[in-house]
Amino acid sequence: MNPAVPTWAGVGASLVLVAVAVAVAWRQQLHLAREIAVAALRAGIQLAAVGAVLLLVLRHTGLAGAAGWLVVMVLIAGRVAGRRAAGLPRALPVATAAIAAGTAATLGVLLALGVVSAQARVVIPVGGMVVSGAMQATALVLTRLREEVRTARPAIEARLALGLSSADAFAPHLRTTVRTALIPVVDATRTVGLISLPGAMTGLILAGVDPLTAIRYQIVVMYMLLAAAALAALIAARLAERALFDDAHRLRPADADG
Amino acid sequence: MLTTGETVFGLERVTVQRGGALLLDDVSCRIPARSCTALVGPSGAGKSTLLRLLNRLEEPSDGVVRLHGRPLPELDVLAVRRRVGLVGQQPVLLTDRILDDLRVGRPDLDAEQAAGLLERVGLPPGMLERATAGLSGGEAQRVCLARALAVGPEVLLLDEPTSALDAVSAKAVETAVRDLVAAGTTAVLVSHNTAQARRIAGHALVLDHGRLTAAGAIDRIAYLDEGP
Repeated sequence: MNPAVPTWAGVGASLVLVAVAVAVAWRQQLHLAREIAVAALRAGIQLAAVGAVLLLVLRHTGLAGAAGWLVVMVLIAGRVAGRRAAGLPRALPVATAAIAAGTAATLGVLLALGVVSAQARVVIPVGGMVVSGAMQATALVLTRLREEVRTARPAIEARLALGLSSADAFAPHLRTTVRTALIPVVDATRTVGLISLPGAMTGLILAGVDPLTAIRYQIVVMYMLLAAAALAALIAARLAERALFDDAHRLRPADADG
Repeated sequence: MLTTGETVFGLERVTVQRGGALLLDDVSCRIPARSCTALVGPSGAGKSTLLRLLNRLEEPSDGVVRLHGRPLPELDVLAVRRRVGLVGQQPVLLTDRILDDLRVGRPDLDAEQAAGLLERVGLPPGMLERATAGLSGGEAQRVCLARALAVGPEVLLLDEPTSALDAVSAKAVETAVRDLVAAGTTAVLVSHNTAQARRIAGHALVLDHGRLTAAGAIDRIAYLDEGP
C-alpha cells in the first residue's frame, strides 16, 4: 500500500479532529455540536457506501456500469439545478437536458481525442467533475434567467411589441445571463494554482504522482470544466428561452411560470 | 354603436380568462380607421387587456379579433406587431443612446429619418446622439413613441402613456399624440383621465369589470361627463 494513503486506523484517528470541532462548537455555545457530529458521521457513511459501490462497478461492470453511474449523476444534478430554478417553466427537464448535453459533448471530445482513456476507473471520476461543473453553470444560468425575466419583462415586451422575434427580443438578456453564469468558472481557471491547489492535482500528488505529471491532468480538467460550463449554460439558456415564450412570440404570463 | 367608416380592428364576442379571473367578458366592438379611440373605465376594467389583444401580446380565451377583416391568428404575428405599434405606461428605454433606441425595431434607420421622427414627437433632432440615461420622463416617453413610429405602424396603441409622468411631461406627450392623431394616425388610447380622452379621441369604448358598457362618438359617452 502507498504509505501516503491513510489506513482505516488513521481514518479512525482523524475523528479527533471532529471532536475538536464539536468541542469548539460546544464551548462557544454555537448550537452546532450535534449538527457537526451528525454531518461528519454522515460524510463517513456516504463516502464508504459510494466507495463500496464504485469498487463493485469498477471490478465487475466495466464501461457499461460507468455509463449507468454517469446517467444517475446527471439525473441527480438535473434535480438539484432544476430545483434552484423553481419558478421557471419546465425547469427540471431543461436543467437535466442541459447538464446531459454539456456532459456528453465534453466527455465525448475527451474520449474521442484519446485525452482520457475509456476505462471505468477514469470515466467515472472525470465524468463526475464534468457533471458537477455543468450543474453549477446550469443552476446559475437558470436562477439568473428567472430574475432577469422578472425584472426585464417590460423591456422584453417592448422589443416584442416592435415586431422582434422572441429570440431577438431575449438575446440581450440571454447574453448577460450566460456571461454572468460563466464568470465563476473563468475566474477559477484564471487563478488556478495561485489561490488554491485544485482537487484533481492535489489527489494525484497525495497518491504519489510527481507534480509535473499531476498538472497535466489538472490542465485537462480545467479546460474540460470550461467547456462543460459554457455548453451547459448556453444550452440551458436556449431551452429555457423556448419554455418562456409561446409560438406567438409572447412571454408567458408570470402567473403561469412554474 | 359605431357603424360608419373603415374598420381597422373588429372584436367578436371576445373573452379573456386567466387563472380563474375574467379579464374581458364577451366583448364585441370595432376600432375605426384614422381617428383615436379611447378605452376608458375604472381600474381593472380590462382596458389594457383589450389593448394587448390588438398586437397579440394577449390571446383571447374565446372569440375573434380581426385586423381589416382577417382573424389575427391567420396573420404573421411579427408582421402584425410591426403594423400595430405599442407605447406602454412606463417609458422603457432599451439602449444607451437615443439613436440606437430608435433603431431597435428598424436597424436600417438613417440619422436623417431618425431626426424626422424626433421632430414628429416634438423633440429637438439634435438629441439623437444623447444618452438615454438622464432623460426626463416626458422625453423618455416621446423617445418610446418615436421608436414605435420608426417601424412605420398603421395603428398606435397607447397604454396610459402619460399616467406615470409629471404634469409638464404629460402635456408634452399628449401634444405629440394629438399631433399624430390630427395627421391621420389610427390610435387606441387607454386612459383613466377622461378629460385627456376627450381632448385626444374621437370615439370611446367604456369598459367595466371586463364588459363593454358603452361605445360611440366621444361627445355622446355619458361616462366621460362624470369623470375628472
